[in-house]
Parts: sequence; C-alpha cells; structure tokens
Amino acid sequence: MPPALHVTRLSKTFRVRERRPGFVGALKGLFSRPSHDVRAVEDVTFTIERGERVAFVGPNGAGKSTTIKMLTGILHPTSGTAEVLGFVPWAQRRELAYRIGTVFGQRSQLWWHLPPTDTFELLRVVYDQDRAPHAARRDRLVDAFQLGDLVHRPVKTLSLGERMRFEIVASLLHAPDVLLLDEPTIGLDVVAKSVIRDLVRERSTQDGATVLLASHDTGDMEAVCDRVLVIHDGRLLLDRPVGELRRTYLRRKVVTLATAEPRVDVRLPGVTVREASPHRTVLEVDTATTPVEAVIQAALAATRLEDLTVEDPPMEEIVKAIYASAGRVAPAAGSAR
Amino acid sequence: MTASATPRRRRFAPYLAAARLAARDQTTGWAEAVGRAAFLAVLLFIFSSLWQHVPMSGAAADPRRLLWYLAITEWVFLSVPSIHLTLERDVRTGDVAYRLPRPVSYLGMRVAEAFGVALVRLAILGVVAAGLAFALSGGLPPAPASLLLALPLGVLAVLLGTLAQAAVGATAPWVDDVSPIYWIWQKAAFVLGGLIVPLHLYPDWLRTAVAWTPFAVLLNGPARTAFAPSTADVLETAGLLVLWVVLVGALARAIHHRGLRALGVHGG
Amino acid sequence: MTTSAPPRPAAAPVPPRPGLASTARFLGALLGTSVKESFANRGSFWIQAVGMFLNDVIWIAVWGIFFARFDHLGGWTFDDMVALYAVTAGAVGLAVITGAGVRDLARTITEGSLDVFLVQPKPVLLHALGSKTSAAGWGDLANCVLLLAVTGQGRLAAVPWVIVGAMAGAVVFLSIGVIVHSLAFWLGSMQVLARQVWEFTITFSLYPESIFPGALRVLLYTAIPAAFIGWFPSGLVRAFSLEGLAWCLGGAVVFPLAAAAVFHLGLRRYASGNRVEVRAG
Repeated sequence: MPPALHVTRLSKTFRVRERRPGFVGALKGLFSRPSHDVRAVEDVTFTIERGERVAFVGPNGAGKSTTIKMLTGILHPTSGTAEVLGFVPWAQRRELAYRIGTVFGQRSQLWWHLPPTDTFELLRVVYDQDRAPHAARRDRLVDAFQLGDLVHRPVKTLSLGERMRFEIVASLLHAPDVLLLDEPTIGLDVVAKSVIRDLVRERSTQDGATVLLASHDTGDMEAVCDRVLVIHDGRLLLDRPVGELRRTYLRRKVVTLATAEPRVDVRLPGVTVREASPHRTVLEVDTATTPVEAVIQAALAATRLEDLTVEDPPMEEIVKAIYASAGRVAPAAGSAR
Repeated sequence: MTASATPRRRRFAPYLAAARLAARDQTTGWAEAVGRAAFLAVLLFIFSSLWQHVPMSGAAADPRRLLWYLAITEWVFLSVPSIHLTLERDVRTGDVAYRLPRPVSYLGMRVAEAFGVALVRLAILGVVAAGLAFALSGGLPPAPASLLLALPLGVLAVLLGTLAQAAVGATAPWVDDVSPIYWIWQKAAFVLGGLIVPLHLYPDWLRTAVAWTPFAVLLNGPARTAFAPSTADVLETAGLLVLWVVLVGALARAIHHRGLRALGVHGG
Repeated sequence: MTTSAPPRPAAAPVPPRPGLASTARFLGALLGTSVKESFANRGSFWIQAVGMFLNDVIWIAVWGIFFARFDHLGGWTFDDMVALYAVTAGAVGLAVITGAGVRDLARTITEGSLDVFLVQPKPVLLHALGSKTSAAGWGDLANCVLLLAVTGQGRLAAVPWVIVGAMAGAVVFLSIGVIVHSLAFWLGSMQVLARQVWEFTITFSLYPESIFPGALRVLLYTAIPAAFIGWFPSGLVRAFSLEGLAWCLGGAVVFPLAAAAVFHLGLRRYASGNRVEVRAG
C-alpha cells in the first residue's frame, strides 16, 4: 500500500505587503510595495505510512500550520512535492477532501446556534454519505466520546472541551483515512486535554486512520503519537520515535515553589536552582536522575508551600537542546540560508 | 459637595466636558462619518435628477428648493449619532452597572457625549450638504437668507433626534435588540416628518394629522427654511422644537428609570 | 519506525459521487441548515422579518404620498413604482435568504475563515455564500407578495414574471456582492467599503431608470447593476417584452460568470499565501 503521506523537499515562501488602513490605504497599496518575504517552510521531507500517528511539533510560527495547509491543498507550495493518499493536495483538493478529516483548533465547523446533530447531518450531505452507515458511525463516535447527553444542545451552550470533542467527531464521521489536527487542545484545561488525547488515540487504533497532529504542546505529542517531527523556523529538525525524544530531551521539568519562608533549600542530585527570589524558587529537575515526586516531598519537608507548579520546559528550550546536542547553534528567527 | 449646594455652572460642567471630549475623539467615528457623507452625496445626486423629471409648477414645488429641502433633512438626520446602539451595548455588556454610581446622570452623560459628536457631524455634513446642494441644483434657493435659520433650528432638531434615539436605546433592558424599534422611529420620521417630500405638499388631511407630532418639526422644521417661511412660522417651529425637546427628554428619562428597575429585577 | 496497518473499520466510506445532483443536494441541505439556524432564536427572527416588512411598506407609503401630489416621475406612475418595489424586494429577499454569507465575505477572506470550506469537498464560493441567512429577507419576500396582491399587479399572468424577475435580480445582486468583496483577496481589508457598495446598490435599484442621466446609467448597468436587479426584472412585470426578458436573463448569466471568475482568481492568490497586511503607519 502506498504511504499515507509522502513529502519531498516541500518549501513555502510568501510575500507580505503592508498597507495603511482605510480605502485610501487600499488604493495606495496597489502602487507602493513595501514588502518582505516570509520563509514559512523550507525543504521539508518525510514519509508517513498508513496507520501511523505522528506529531508535528514546534514553537508558534515554526511552519506547522503552513505545512498542514499545503497538505490539505489550501496553499500551493513554492517548490517540492507532496502526495497524500496518492493525491497531490493542491491539484486534487476536492478528491482528497473526501478522504481526509481536519480539525483546526481555532476554527470551528460546527454551527453555533444549532445542536451538533444538525452539523453532522449537513456533513453527511457534504461528504456524500448514505444515511444508514453514517448514522451508525455517528452513534458509535458520540458514544465513544461520551457526548450522548449533549448531542441535542446548541453548540453555543457547550464548554470548549465539549465543543472540541464534537469537532473531532465531526471530522471522523466520513471515516477519513487521514486525520489532520492543528492545535486541537489549545485553550483547554488539563483534564479536557487528556480526554481528547485519549479519544484521538483510541479512535485511530480502532479505525486505522493515519494521524498527523500539529501542536506546540508537547503533552499532545507524548499522549497521542508514536513518532514526532520537530519543526523550527520552517525546517525539519528531527524525525524520531516519541520514546527516543522523551528519553533524550524531555527529561527535565521546571518546578516553581511559592513558599511561606523567604528561602528554601532543596538539594538533591539532578536538581539545579534556576532562580531564587524571596518566597519564590524555581528549580530545574533532571527526571532521569531524580523523579519529580522526590523533589516535591523534599520541598514539603523543608518548608510550607503556598503554591507549586510543575511544567515542561518551553518548546524553545527543547529546540535549543536539540540543536545543541546536534552540535549546531540555534539560528535566530527569520534568518536566511 | 452636595447637589443642592452646587452652583448652576458647576453642575453642568461634567456634561459639557463629556460633550467636548466626545466631539474631539472622532477616531472611530471617522469611517462612519465618511460613510454617511457618501450616502448623503448619493441621495442628493439621485434626487437632483429625480426632481427634474417631475411635472410641477409654482414656488411650492420648485426643484431647486426641493433639493435644498432634502439636503437639510438628510443633514439633520445623518448627524444624529447612534446613541441607541451605545445604550443597547452598555446594557448588553453590563457596562451600565459601572457607570451608574456616579455623581452625574448616566443618561445625561451619554446624551451629552452624543450631542458633542452630533455637533461635529453637523459641521462636516453641513459643508458637504450645502456644497452638493449648491452644485447639483445650480445655486441657492430664492431668499437664501432664510437658509441661515436652518442652522439654529438644525441644532435643536439634532438635539431632539438624539433624545428620541436615547429613548429608543433606553428600552434596551426589555428587548435584546433595539434595532427594530429604531427602524420604526426612523420610518415614522421619514413619512411623518417629510424627509423627501415637504409637508406642505402632503394631502391636507395628512398634513393636519402630523402637524403636532415631534416628527414634523424634526425634519420638516429646519428644512422648510428652503421655502422662505414667514417669521411666525419660524418662531412656531422653534417653539415646537423646544417643547418636544423637553417632552421627549422627559420621556427618555422616564423610560431609562423604569429600565433600571427592570435590570435590577433581572439581576443584570 | 513504521507500524503495520490495523484492520479497516467495519463501515467503509462510500466513494464520492461528484456532479450536479450532489451539488444540488448540498445546496438544499445548506439552505435548510442556515434557515434552521436563523430560526433558532424565534423572537429575533420575527422581529427582523416583521421589521423589514414594515420598513418596506412605509417606503411605498412615502411614494404613495409623492404620487398623490405629482402625476408621474419621469414617465413612471405609482403602479410602476409598486412593480419596481415588489420585484426588487423579491430579489433582495431571495438574495439574502439564500446567500447572506456574501455580506461578510471580505471579512471571511481576510480572517482566513475560507480554510474551513477549502478542506471540504464542495464548491467553496457557494458554501461561503450559503453559510448564513438573513431573517429580514423573509420580510422582503412578504412585502413582494403583499404589494402584488394588493395593487392588482397580482394578476395571474404577471406572477411567473415576478418570480423570474426576482430570481434573476437576486443572482445579479449576489454576483456584484461577490465581485466587490473578492477584492479583499488583493486589497486586504475591504469589509466596510464592500458593505457600503452593497447598500448603495439597493438604493439605486429602487428609483426609476428614467431619472438618471446617461453617463450615470452606464455605471448602473455595470458596477452598481441596478438595471439588472430592479429595472429589467420589474420591466417584465410592467409590460412584458422578449427584449426585456433577454436582458434579464442575459444579466443573470453574465454577472454570475464574472463573479465566479473573480472569486476563483482570488482563490488562486489566496493559495499562494501572499497577502496584504494592514499596518497603521
């Protein structure tokens, strides 16, 4: 079977022209051209086989959304080729559209004032599905995503987490072979995020759909996917199984303690102090050496904790770490090559 | 500083300040003002053509005067700011609750701000309207001096219009969307106020019916100066405008107070 | 690195059936969903529909007063005016019921909201137009029916021409909206200006052709096609002629073709990703 996605040296540069607001500005904008080029995606190559679950990870502005838009046929590349399920996305957008499902975290396909069932019925017609199999599939999905009680309530009355689950159901109704998600967990609380992650993973196993998940949240990557593509500044930095990435780069956690006492001393191997200001201490923990629980227990023993935060290091740092380990200096944003 | 002890001038100062401030801050209002000027231009253009094609005779239906008439009614009408939308928005977003507990009247402040904006619009649209009317109709109407009377009458009319739209906006606590009520008021003003056809050309029965409504003086009042009315007519118009300003102002206030109580009942 | 493909699911997807029937079904479903949504808030729906109905009725009343005083306007009588209003109201009503998405098209384009339509296998322009409906349009339609019934223009012979005229007018009206809004693909934010042109088009359509000087008429046959929205369609009702019908239908073919062309040219530019950003200073 041909691979689900096959991308070779895909690149996208576009020109942004600035203009002043208003009608006069619009007219002037036709003549004067202060513009600059944006190299959104450069020379990206990868192949994804059917049934794989791949994360597309990188900081904001790294080129993830642009790549997804090229893979769905919204944007035409500047150079390079891509094939999704044997189709060239920008040439065969409509045919490909029948076989893929998309979830844009910041755009909705649900009709706001109507219950989700109405959107589902419209989608049935959009994707030319027959009634009976569509209804069966819809009921199965609604059940799996535990949305049975909510399915007749107008979308505007639902919480963001519930809406996202419905968005994903909507994208799966026509049994797509490839599911593309662009920041599906953005703005969600921790619980809602893990629910969605579990559901996406489960459905993909059940249906055999190939998943490409773009996110700046490494938690999405870890919970859902088996493989990760790291993008930064439009370039593909890394293409590894998730386990390997976790072992190599994601061992560190950042623990922030707000304490009743002005100072706290937590000395454990693998723990370095990043910041020590009155009543606030930021520690960096190498979880391979010392698990986070040990650090928290030590802190509890040493002081009265007012607040505690445990975070992953930001994406930029992971990227810098990736670069550093590859023996290269991380390039500044927007640099030409 | 209790209200009763405050001298007159001091008591009105905040409203004047609000009006002045709103008049200066036209950054968001410019696009709307330009849009209204464009609409005015289109309408005057259409009607300058239209009045040429109507069989008529006599001073009462002179095309030049009719165009100046329309220029003035539209000048007044387009200068009234959308205070009803502002009031509706304040209720919808709950802002009204923040603005109420202050030593000045909330409604008064909003009206003062709107009036400040209206005066600026009157100035700008006045130039546009007069210029276009002059150019399109080929000059001034006979007895042009009486056009100057349109200025004070226009200011009073715009004040009346603002208060009327404030009354419309004051219904916001009861209705989600004041637009339909606004449309009804607007259309009543058009028909009963003689937006396009001066009231003196209306059938007799209709003319007597509307003569004592606020709509009649709102638009027809200032605009009839294009037809060189007598001093008595002008004074009557001015008097009626003042009367309706007081009455409609009281109405707006009454609705507003009732509305506040309704808001309290519903918990905002 | 690769995993073996899991078994296919039990309910396999039906292969696509593109073509006219599929598109027609889609448009029907889209309209149904739009109308359902506008009906979701009953109160608001009725207020807007009735409000627009009253609005239209009052305008006719103003003209009634006008014609009580003046015999004719450029050769037009009150009956002619009623025919014009009826057909134009019908055209505007049909247009905003079926394609109110055009009113915000410029904003849809500049905010990137076309993406949602682009990833679905149905025509993007029609999808964007049909994704919204206007409750007020029903008021316009009601007014059209009322005017015809009450003023005797509703003689049976005229009814089919009202329908043809209104449909042709609606198509032209939507087309000009699409063309103006599509300029956003090249010029960036156009929403306010495009909306303004939309409103002006309605304004001009409601006055008789005969009052406009020749030079302006050229404009009113092209960029602001009042001729094809109001005059030709109502002409069919006032006094049917084959020539009038030809003009009507001709407009209803040429304008949509132009609109589709402009929009798809714009889409190609959209797909290039090149864009215009509005920056103060």
